[in-house]
Amino acid sequence: MAIIGSALPVSIQSLRPPLDLAPAREIFTPKGPSGLAPTGGQFGEIFEKMVSGVELRQAEAGAVTRSVLLGDNPNLHQSVIAMQEASLSFSLMVEVRNKVVEGYQELMRMPV
Amino acid sequence: MELLTGIAATSGALNSQRTRLDIIAQNIANARTTRGPDGGPYQRRIVSFESELLRSTDSANGANSPGLATVRVSGVTNDPTPGQRVNDPGHPDADAQGMVTLPNVNLAFEMVDLITASRAYEANLNVAKNSRQMAMRTLEIGK
Repeated sequence: MAIIGSALPVSIQSLRPPLDLAPAREIFTPKGPSGLAPTGGQFGEIFEKMVSGVELRQAEAGAVTRSVLLGDNPNLHQSVIAMQEASLSFSLMVEVRNKVVEGYQELMRMPV
Repeated sequence: MELLTGIAATSGALNSQRTRLDIIAQNIANARTTRGPDGGPYQRRIVSFESELLRSTDSANGANSPGLATVRVSGVTNDPTPGQRVNDPGHPDADAQGMVTLPNVNLAFEMVDLITASRAYEANLNVAKNSRQMAMRTLEIGK
């Protein structure tokens, strides 16, 4: 994901005509490892946070279901609701991924 | 990030209705129990509810979202009405006059309560189902 996250803004910005040379050089000059590892606010980082949020929800749902199955928790609906929330957040993540990949492929198909 | 908003209130309501169903089951099971741990006949139990404000963990829309109130069981109390007294001298719990005090459980009332509680549970399940469907429909916008 980090590849797409860092590749997208660069490819969008590189389409702009370089009106001024100084900022253009800033964009095209490779900055070493910091250019590869996106810092705060980058899409890759946000998406990673989202993935870990989804993972947390799945783990929570698993824990609640286990406690229901072991008889510690008599409330069956809590387990089902937790599973629904986990599945919904997973669907949302998949939807976001689909959109990003779609946008990336759209850019790749663009005739230059 | 709260994906299914309002589900916490529904969850609390489901908890409460389930407790109510448990207590009704206990009342029906003990409809003819003439001796409890205290020596007297079984006393019918009543569940009462109270609303409870949900602690908001979502700070993103905390300013303009109304604090949701869920429901919880405030207490289980004994119904103080005296039970029916019948003449049955052969009963082990009969007093000196041969009278036995039966529990103050009326099966007809309990059945009505049972229907109400199970319908309320069903209604809350429908709310949960609906909020999930709404979220799934929203995700279908992108398709």
